[in-house]
Amino acid sequence: MGTDGTVMGRGEPAIETRALRKTFGPIHAVDGVDLSLTAGRIYGLIGPNGSGKTTLIRLLVGLARATSGEARVLGTVMPSRPLLERIGYMPQADGIYPELSVWENIRFFAGLYGGTDGARAREVLRLVELDDRRSTPALELSGGMRRHLSLACSLVHDPAVLFLDEPTVGIDPALRVQFWAHFRRLAALGRTLLVASHVMDEADRCDELLFIRDGTIFARGTADELRARTGTDRLETAFLQFAGLDDNGAPLAGSGPAGPAAGAS
Amino acid sequence: MNPRRLRAITRRIVDQFRRDPRTLGLIFVVPIAITALLGWVLRDQQVVPTRVAVVDLDRTAGGRLAAAIGSAATAGGLELVEGLAGEPAARDALANDRADVVVILPSGFGATLVSGGTATLTILTQGADPIGDGAKLGQLQRAVSTALLRLAPGSPSERVTFARQTVFLTPEADVLDALAPVFVGYFGYFFVFILTGISFLRERIGGTLERLLATPITKPEIVLGYSLGFGIFATLQVIILLTFVLMRLDVPALGPLPALSIGLHVPIAGSPLLAFVLALLLALGAVNLGIFLSTFARTELQVLQFIPIVIVPQGLLSGIFWPVDSLPVVLQPVARILPLTYAVEALRDVMIRGHDLTAAGVQLAIVILAAIAGLFVVLAAATIRREVA
Repeated sequence: MGTDGTVMGRGEPAIETRALRKTFGPIHAVDGVDLSLTAGRIYGLIGPNGSGKTTLIRLLVGLARATSGEARVLGTVMPSRPLLERIGYMPQADGIYPELSVWENIRFFAGLYGGTDGARAREVLRLVELDDRRSTPALELSGGMRRHLSLACSLVHDPAVLFLDEPTVGIDPALRVQFWAHFRRLAALGRTLLVASHVMDEADRCDELLFIRDGTIFARGTADELRARTGTDRLETAFLQFAGLDDNGAPLAGSGPAGPAAGAS
Repeated sequence: MNPRRLRAITRRIVDQFRRDPRTLGLIFVVPIAITALLGWVLRDQQVVPTRVAVVDLDRTAGGRLAAAIGSAATAGGLELVEGLAGEPAARDALANDRADVVVILPSGFGATLVSGGTATLTILTQGADPIGDGAKLGQLQRAVSTALLRLAPGSPSERVTFARQTVFLTPEADVLDALAPVFVGYFGYFFVFILTGISFLRERIGGTLERLLATPITKPEIVLGYSLGFGIFATLQVIILLTFVLMRLDVPALGPLPALSIGLHVPIAGSPLLAFVLALLLALGAVNLGIFLSTFARTELQVLQFIPIVIVPQGLLSGIFWPVDSLPVVLQPVARILPLTYAVEALRDVMIRGHDLTAAGVQLAIVILAAIAGLFVVLAAATIRREVA
């Protein structure tokens, strides 16, 4: 049960897709994805640039319409505007207003969700440790702090499901550890997180991993399971093996997913 | 000075231009296009015949002088408007654009001439277009001289003087008095368009629009929110500009600073509030035009490139500098679809001609400006790509 008073049906998946497909002309950005993700867990969407991570997330948020198939979040078919009240989305670009202060950015996004009292906005600022920077223009924040502000903006309405597109890209290891601590706390509160990343050492921090390439989820499981199934101790090697590639990333003869190595992210 | 480094920079700039065909087009094609448009507008001016009426209060020479002026005018390419009995009717015809110039032969005119005195003719024009009036007066004076010569050869034309009167403004009004009211609308339109265009472009490229669309906000809320937010600043801008145009503040000499006056002190005949409403409606259209056109730009520079493409031609065609009727025939329908054309005409109606809300022209302008603003709202909303409204 989320603090926003909603009750998830027993066993009802937080995120569900059926034969989800999105094509841009000849390019199959998302190519038949079937998913069923449980609430209260952190899922890692792991794949190289251009593998379809961003397109899949945009389909789930409802920013793009599927060519075919269906995406459901919290049981509702996307795109659905009312459901956006319960979805958080941290885009790859910072998506904050550089000339506005930290507080003005937060207040703006809180306002879009109808937030008025500012209590939740202050709480989120504390969470990302920017409360002593309230009046700093976002322009003057370091890159890592800007990512923090961006995260705070996507959390300001306490969403039940959170989509994070490469949230830790370009930030230093210490901040990255902080980010994952936030994510873990959110999952413990029953929130569902789908984190897109191409960094393998982050994958180990997820409850479960979805390997994506050419718009297809080709392997799924915990990091340990995936390593065990390929008999390797490195996730990177596991990824390459599942993808049907050798250690240098070249295709192995007669295995791996079919189709051209094209995709849009 | 290292020539290799110098060359690297020069070459990079050339490469960047090659990669940006739009900017290339801007510096080569657009100046030609605008110069061509200006040439077209100036060279192919429609000659709209000047409409003249003669009001004969004197029955000079049994009405023969009035008839002679009329026929001389017609012979000189002017168009004669008949049947205006007195000065009130003449003023009414000028105010409602049924005549351009009226000659009044005052009673006693003929008698004064016959007795060898200097007689004065009154020439009435509308007065809203000081430049155009000048040319028309010249044509008329020639017609009067011709008529006098024909009626009484060899005598009195140098003993006839002309007294100028206007229905609106004064005969002394200058070009600024006619242009300033219109600039209030034009500048509002121009700046609001550029500001919104850049602002919305930054939303599109900075990822904030993407994030905005992942919240429960609706497209109408975005577009109307922009209109209100920029509307506040458009309002302030129009108020300040209007105040500057209408007021005059005399600052006395202070120490080494000479005395100066701030403001243009342009006379206004109608309601400043109505002028404000017209300029604001135009500016609200510009907000949404800016949002709409920001789709077609990828950088701030490209938004600025819309100035010569969108703003300058509108300035040439909308009747600011010359009447729409005198534009080349092909361009007149173009002028008629520009919001600025309606705003320009209505602003002159209100500020120079003193029209109020009961005037059909002002009502039409308000309806059209509101409709065009509405159309731009719809276009703007359509360019915000989202799967759910």
